Amino acid sequence: MRIKLTSIMVDDQNRALKFYTEVLGFQKKRDIPVGEYKWLTVVSPEGPGDLELVLEPNANPAGKAFQKAMFEQAIPLAAFETSDLKAEFARLKALGVTFTQGPTKRGPVTIAVLSDTCGNLLQLYQPG
Amino acid sequence: MVLTRDVLARLCRARDLLCEEHAPSVREVARHVEISLFHFIRQFEAAFGVTPRQFRIGSRIQWAKRLLAVGRLSVTDVCMEVGFSSLGSFSDTFARRVGTRPSEYRRRARAMIQDSGMVPHPLEPGCLSLMALLPESGDAISEKRE
Repeated sequence: MRIKLTSIMVDDQNRALKFYTEVLGFQKKRDIPVGEYKWLTVVSPEGPGDLELVLEPNANPAGKAFQKAMFEQAIPLAAFETSDLKAEFARLKALGVTFTQGPTKRGPVTIAVLSDTCGNLLQLYQPG
Repeated sequence: MVLTRDVLARLCRARDLLCEEHAPSVREVARHVEISLFHFIRQFEAAFGVTPRQFRIGSRIQWAKRLLAVGRLSVTDVCMEVGFSSLGSFSDTFARRVGTRPSEYRRRARAMIQDSGMVPHPLEPGCLSLMALLPESGDAISEKRE
């Protein structure tokens, strides 16, 4: 058994693809139409190339309620590691990304929190 | 842009108001959450990726999808129920956002096997359940491992 897929629910898959690739810098891996929706995944250019993040349509009412509750409590639904948070924060801010928390030291990491514009908050973190 | 926790909470409250059955105007919502209209539109879009007006339309279309899938209302009745005043405008907006016209969406939805009053599963897929609807051939899920 291995960890191969993880997912995040998004309000709009087209907007999500644009944000996760053009803004965050991930790469599209699969884009397969499934009825009204798509099987849409991205990978990090920094690898591993076979660990995919599924950008799932947030179509189910239970998922919507969960996502909404987490957003309202300012709780991120995914975390991505970076080796230079300060530079990443500056790069993303210049691209117009909205943060709810700038780089802040928290225990063993420095974190920043941003909106993916698709209903989620994402945490960026730098160890050390 | 960095949004404070307080502004984020106000924007979430605004989002709830815009989802209501008889949603107030964008101007009224801005007033309700005590943000100037200019900043409200800008901050809402920055947080949620769409303007308040676009969000309200999207919310009405989602509501229409449910009614079309499981309700007994005609397309015209659904159009009125979700707050559109023109059937043409409703059909065009629905088609643009969903990819099919309301009557076709309803026909397809109702052709699916339904449990009592439940929206057919493929129309509201849950966590990763889309995987089961992918084509069986090809490498839709995984490449062959060496």
